[in-house]
Amino acid sequence: MLKHIAMIAALVAFPVMAEEGKFAEGSQARSWNLKAQEKALFKAKVVDVLCELAGDCPPDCGGGTRQLGLLRDADDALVFPTKNGQPVFTGAATDLQLYCGKQVEVDGLLTGGDEISAGAAKLFQVQRIREIGGEWAKANRWTKDWQKANPGAKGKGPWFRRDPRIVREIEKDGYLGLGLDEDKVFIKDWY
Amino acid sequence: MRKTIFGSVILSALMAVSANAAEGKRMTVKGELIDTWCYFSGVMGGPESVVGTAHHTCAMWCAAGGIPIGLLDEDGKVYMVLKLPDDDASNGGETFLTMTNDTVEAEGMTYERDGLTYLVVSKITSNDGIPNRTHEDFGVVPGNTIPDAVVDKVLEEG
Repeated sequence: MLKHIAMIAALVAFPVMAEEGKFAEGSQARSWNLKAQEKALFKAKVVDVLCELAGDCPPDCGGGTRQLGLLRDADDALVFPTKNGQPVFTGAATDLQLYCGKQVEVDGLLTGGDEISAGAAKLFQVQRIREIGGEWAKANRWTKDWQKANPGAKGKGPWFRRDPRIVREIEKDGYLGLGLDEDKVFIKDWY
Repeated sequence: MRKTIFGSVILSALMAVSANAAEGKRMTVKGELIDTWCYFSGVMGGPESVVGTAHHTCAMWCAAGGIPIGLLDEDGKVYMVLKLPDDDASNGGETFLTMTNDTVEAEGMTYERDGLTYLVVSKITSNDGIPNRTHEDFGVVPGNTIPDAVVDKVLEEG
């Protein structure tokens, strides 16, 4: 009887345990229901990945142009952040740039990894960040920076519907990237 | 004495660079330049639906938004692309945006670190455009990629 109860308890507990990885303790990250999702709170140094790996090291981590990484204190692992906390197709490098070369604490989600690509480490989504001992800040800077850089972006909707570079690419090659005629054929067939 | 100190400083600087840098391997790899977030996170569905033409517009949104691009080879291995020829602006740079979903053959250096492989491309030796016509199976991903007004206009034109 006890064995059955333990088995049922283990099955019920599994979805929760799936989020409890090695660095989950203390994490307040919100679930995004991601593949192989794992909450993670850890201390790290913000580094320019290209500098770290290839020794190509411009000042200030490239000044916001490059992907940045998190060199985790606990195990010296280079964690690759690919997403910030905004649900609008925005990466993490812009939020991390403020902390180039600094020791920080980050809270977010690890996702993907070996279940998607054999042997691959999980990627990181940064939801909040702070300098060691500082105040937490939400990782949501990207759209504010975009708004400042694109005050004249016209039209309705979120940034990705109005971004001049994306609008230009769609006007040139369509939504499928195959040209405007292919878009028309697809729309007539699919909708 | 001054020369000795100067030499020591130079030597220390060189040692610091080499200690930082990982050991790279020169390689030629062929594959599609994909949106790594949607591919690995499953946020839009399975990996097969977030590559190629079906996901092209979303991949551009992600590239412009600063999400890293990866090169997905035929064996399913993903190389995180840190640099394309003459463009290290991997956070939303122009070359990264305009090459999303292209299938390319790339020469460059690869670096293995903590379960990921990073790619620094020095030369694109071929570019096949977007031969991966996933829209034929999946439509567009996400489903609202093409605004209703655009769909309506095409359908009205007949």
